[in-house]
Amino acid sequence: MTLHVTDAIVLHAFDYLETSRIFRLATRESGVVSVLARGARKSVKRFGSSLDLFVTGTAEIQQRPGRDLQTLSGFDLTYARSALAADLDRFVAASMLCELALRCTAGEAHAETFDALTNGLDGLTRVSGREAQVFGAQAAWQLVDSLGFAPSLDRCASCHRVLDRGDDALFSHRTGGAVCRDCEGVARGGRRLPAAARSAILGWLAGAESPMPDAGTLRSHARLLREFVEHHVSEGTELRAYTAWAARFERT
Amino acid sequence: MSAIDDLAGELAKLPGIGRKTALRLTYHLLKQPPERSRKLAHALEVLRDRVHPCGVCGNLTEDPECAICRDPRRDRTVICTVEEAADIGAIERAGEFRGLYHVLGGRISPLDGVGPEHLTVRELEARVSAGGVSEVIVATNPSVEGEATALYLQQSLVRLGVRVSRIARGLPVGGDLEYADGGTIAQALSARREMI
Repeated sequence: MTLHVTDAIVLHAFDYLETSRIFRLATRESGVVSVLARGARKSVKRFGSSLDLFVTGTAEIQQRPGRDLQTLSGFDLTYARSALAADLDRFVAASMLCELALRCTAGEAHAETFDALTNGLDGLTRVSGREAQVFGAQAAWQLVDSLGFAPSLDRCASCHRVLDRGDDALFSHRTGGAVCRDCEGVARGGRRLPAAARSAILGWLAGAESPMPDAGTLRSHARLLREFVEHHVSEGTELRAYTAWAARFERT
Repeated sequence: MSAIDDLAGELAKLPGIGRKTALRLTYHLLKQPPERSRKLAHALEVLRDRVHPCGVCGNLTEDPECAICRDPRRDRTVICTVEEAADIGAIERAGEFRGLYHVLGGRISPLDGVGPEHLTVRELEARVSAGGVSEVIVATNPSVEGEATALYLQQSLVRLGVRVSRIARGLPVGGDLEYADGGTIAQALSARREMI
């Protein structure tokens, strides 16, 4: 058994037996790992009181080779992000980001994804309501980008010709982004992406401020992102938190 | 699969019981008079047949309404909302609260696919709307999901003109400040109250 000390973000937590809890952690060096925190529900002696969803800290993990479930022997909290529970849009968007990280990074080290998730969760603590919904979309695209799946938006995903920024384009999940008119026949299926929406996603990927989209545009963004993630990253697994996040757009 | 494996397998599914303990319990039952096993089996059957959620608050009971809801000495103007029926026992053991309860049946957890529509929020709103309730105490767990659930309840109930309060959290009674962790101290400081 070896002791592994790493930066970690709590993505998911659920009770195990009477007093323990299983956590799924995003770690900088090992990707997503599952750990058992013995007695975490009963006593805060070893793990502190704030070992909860969305927190960042230094995890001490007792690793046994070949095991899926490792043992968490200590957790030193560095940032609790309790503000994420103070606004439902923040909370649901943060859950959606953690779900994407869970479904998309299992078993592989992704330092860039760890940083993208950190930035996404940190950013969400500073916005609320509609802004949190939009920031969620931005952070989700950046998470996808950190995994190396960013869609091609300024060049045709098929022939790599530069696309005019002012033109609508067909967005093909299968091809990996926007395609020019000449390649539309090759890229089967897809969705017509207005120039403004393409520009918004480009802006989000670059981390730039974008104009606040209206409710209908937000819903279209949520549909497009979901299709893209399901096609390229999540391999068809159910995205429950994503569904809850997208459902909030219906209410705006 | 043998009868021994069958029972040990079922016992091992219970919280706090591993495979070894399950086998130990199985062999223990085999050493006891047959009557004891029959009583245990009967008790389990009766439990499943008779116990159900209270029609008013969701607490577990054998009657249409639980003993707390039927008790005329309870304060009917205050409802304490908890995640699970087991939480009622913890609050009752403290002996301080004399109001009624409402069991939500969980907490909002988008990652687990649990939304407000899966909880008994509508039933709670109906109880408040029926009148006579002046305060709802939200006693969900002090976790991120518990806090988000509390926020949702606050936003839903405040429209109905009822006072909504949240149980306090911070330093444990009898604890020592020196040994409290940073998160607990931070919560205790942010939830400090004026000394009157």
